[in-house]
Amino acid sequence: MLSELLMRMIFSLTNGIVWALVIALIALGLSFIFGLMEIINVAHGELYMIGAVLSWYGLVWFGNFWLGVIMASLIVGILGIVLERATLRPVEGRPAHTVIVTIGLSYILQQIVLATFGGWPQKMPDPLPVTVQFLNVKYPGYRLLVAGLSAFALIGVWLFLHRTSLGLWIRAAMQDKEMASAMGIPVSRVYMITFSIGAMLAALGGALAAPVVQVFYLMGLDILSVSFIVVIIGGLGSLKGTFVASLIINPLEGIMIILLTPTEARIVSLIAMAAVLLVRPKGLFGVIK
Amino acid sequence: MSQRLMEVVLRPTSLILPVILVFLIVMGILLPSSIRSLLMEIMIFSIYGMAYDILFGFSNQFSYGQALFFGVGAYGVLLLALNLNADLWTAMLVAVMLSLVFAFVLGILAVRLSEAYFVIISVIFNMVFYLLALDWTWLTGGDDGLTFTVPPIPLGFASYSVYDPIVNYYFILFFVIATYLILKRIIDSPLGKILVSIRENEERAEFLGYNVIRYKLIAYIISAMFTGLSGTLYAIRTRYASADYFSLIMSADPIIWTLIGGAGTLIGPIVGVVILRILTYYISVWWRNYFILIGGLMILVLRVSPKGIVGYIASKIGVKF
Repeated sequence: MLSELLMRMIFSLTNGIVWALVIALIALGLSFIFGLMEIINVAHGELYMIGAVLSWYGLVWFGNFWLGVIMASLIVGILGIVLERATLRPVEGRPAHTVIVTIGLSYILQQIVLATFGGWPQKMPDPLPVTVQFLNVKYPGYRLLVAGLSAFALIGVWLFLHRTSLGLWIRAAMQDKEMASAMGIPVSRVYMITFSIGAMLAALGGALAAPVVQVFYLMGLDILSVSFIVVIIGGLGSLKGTFVASLIINPLEGIMIILLTPTEARIVSLIAMAAVLLVRPKGLFGVIK
Repeated sequence: MSQRLMEVVLRPTSLILPVILVFLIVMGILLPSSIRSLLMEIMIFSIYGMAYDILFGFSNQFSYGQALFFGVGAYGVLLLALNLNADLWTAMLVAVMLSLVFAFVLGILAVRLSEAYFVIISVIFNMVFYLLALDWTWLTGGDDGLTFTVPPIPLGFASYSVYDPIVNYYFILFFVIATYLILKRIIDSPLGKILVSIRENEERAEFLGYNVIRYKLIAYIISAMFTGLSGTLYAIRTRYASADYFSLIMSADPIIWTLIGGAGTLIGPIVGVVILRILTYYISVWWRNYFILIGGLMILVLRVSPKGIVGYIASKIGVKF
């Protein structure tokens, strides 16, 4: 009995850590985009959803899941460029206005998926149908692979930001736009690329999560709430904060799920967020103006 | 001459409002039931829109999560009538007070934060309570919702049933007029002036000695109470509430109404509600994905007309609201 409880705890905790890495990937895009352009992207959940939907189509068309993941990330990356240039450009720097525009975007994206993909949830086959056994717990191997790939992508983002000149430009523009612009950094193009990368990360998260969850045109809603909580706790615009907060919140929810429903576990995160905000109104690592 | 005429016609206290009022009173009896039903919906959402304008238009607090209070109002009246057999006035009063309590708790946390944090906090709370309403089916009925028998309206010695659509119409009309008068009174009072001064320049208001956070909280609570009121009326009108009353779509609606009609004008949101509801009423019949149109409007509205219809007309003829 006790050992069974312990096993369930290990299982849930592992789940929490796996999700922590996926959510960190998604929320990183959200935080990134805000830190640079002050865009609050309410449609971020829809980019995640489109990533999942495209990976489903990829599997149907090519018969290969991984090809679908790559296709989904690339298409959504390009979509990000189009959306930023066409709709968000005029409102950047005004958070309230960006919310209004991205609500509109999320409606349109949802309806397009509803009209083409349909309104029913679709299940995808497990791309890696093996189970891994550790500490007497059987755990689906694909989820561990997802965690590994997400960690890999996170390291990739970190290396990109700190080891390439484009990453340097992004960090410079985040600190001081005018100064960066005066130094000859093409800030406008940096914005476009950053938004595209953020979109791509959301889509990658969605594509990787697709076989674990159900592919559904409203699946972005659930992800958006936890991503926002993570971003707020970590501090808007702080990439380190986003990562740390994700690693706190998701395992916490994972453990809570033993006692509560997933939604009630979300309430626990909500209370944690409220507590953090009461002590630190800018989140754990918040520095933004 | 025409400018003078326009000014008279459009001054909110002059002719136009009494004309609309008489029109609404007479039409309650004359209209066919389908149009009356649409009009009732428009009136309920007008309260919601005006309440949103107090928050967004007058104190510059941009919230994307007001459906939380709409849902609390709707479920408040439903659950009290259903489980405790409360009479209608008690149920409505408690439901509105519940919105107040929610707004107080949330407001204390949210109003002192910066614009970006405020928006995100409002979305998070709204989303989590929406998910909770879907989850706790024992309380809310979840996605399917709950129906209830609306108790009669006790008025002195007589009581009237809202199941008579004409009674329901005048019941709602009464609350729309009351809401307009109360909110108009608040805006014209010193409190309203302080809110506008905070909207125009928060730092200066602070230097003048006003406790900005307290006034923002007051505006937040007033807005939430009237949002709750519109929720109770909607539940009474439909004799039903579901988790959808908490949905983010419900929260986005007042934003688009206020923007299209004109923020900071009080009657602007009503114009927005009329346009949007009539539009969706007719378009949703033949286009299932009509939300694409609403989404397009939200993307374009700030570019085409940041002041909204009423704001645009007012600036053209020099009328101040």
